[in-house]
Amino acid sequence: MMKEIKSISGKNPFKVPDNYFEEVNRKIISSTTGFVPEKKGSGLYRKLRPYLSAAASVAILAVLSYTTINFYTSGRNRSELPELTLSEFSENYLNEIDLLTLEEKAGSIDAEAARMNLTSNDIVDYFVLENIDINEIYTQL
Amino acid sequence: MGDKNPDNDILELLKTDINKGFRLVVERYSSKLYWHIRRLVILHEDADDALQNTFVSAWRNIGNFRNESSMYTWLYAIATNESLAIINKRTKNAAVSLDDLESYFANSLEGSTWFDGDEAQVKLQNAILQLPEKQRIVFNLKYFDEMTYEDMSKVLNTSVGALKASYHHAVKKIEDFIING
Repeated sequence: MMKEIKSISGKNPFKVPDNYFEEVNRKIISSTTGFVPEKKGSGLYRKLRPYLSAAASVAILAVLSYTTINFYTSGRNRSELPELTLSEFSENYLNEIDLLTLEEKAGSIDAEAARMNLTSNDIVDYFVLENIDINEIYTQL
Repeated sequence: MGDKNPDNDILELLKTDINKGFRLVVERYSSKLYWHIRRLVILHEDADDALQNTFVSAWRNIGNFRNESSMYTWLYAIATNESLAIINKRTKNAAVSLDDLESYFANSLEGSTWFDGDEAQVKLQNAILQLPEKQRIVFNLKYFDEMTYEDMSKVLNTSVGALKASYHHAVKKIEDFIING
């Protein structure tokens, strides 16, 4: 009696989108246990993100500080203030202010990098992949 | 499912690390449950909703489960109920009567992006769709999931004898539909 059914039912006619089960499992797990599994392919970016964040923070802080001081001293007698270029400013002032923060971050990053076996080549490769010019960061400082 | 419980590793893990244990539940059962649900609700979008609802419901009640004997039948029971809930909701929204359910699903089947069956496959699915709801579930669980009648009895809260009879009639109706159109 089952012959007719068996002759048809071999192939599954229902389809699902590509990677459906991987995606839905991730959604289910994050909405239940709260754990969000790492997506494949984002490992390098995730590992190098702290370095980029630290570099970006320092660059932004230097530019903002220098710009703020210029803004508030515009119109005043600038001869009262020392003549400083941006790089001199960051070297003399910013390094003192931010050194502790940078050291803290570098410590945790170094530990993290050591754990993740990152080399300086990995970091440079990342910057190249992201089209980031390291020299440009130093120029801003 | 046999004398030895194949989910003993999950049960042990749930006692020591409930989050890890539940992740293993999802990994082991999401595909099986999806296909069971999909055969009932037909549309991928509805199956996706019902699947996620199934696991959310399972997570909320995972504390109660520990006293249950079989993760397998427990999950299938939840999945079946969620499928029926989705079917009821969709047919209500579409203002479809119970008599028109078969046509409603048949139209959904042929219009779906995620159905790639030939003419014979369409005929088989339509044959299954013309079964009464519970009989359709019995047929699917027995034929496609190869579930034992004992496990099915726990999933559907129905006696083994009734299930055997239901399956026998289901097969006869489907064969008749395929042969005589």
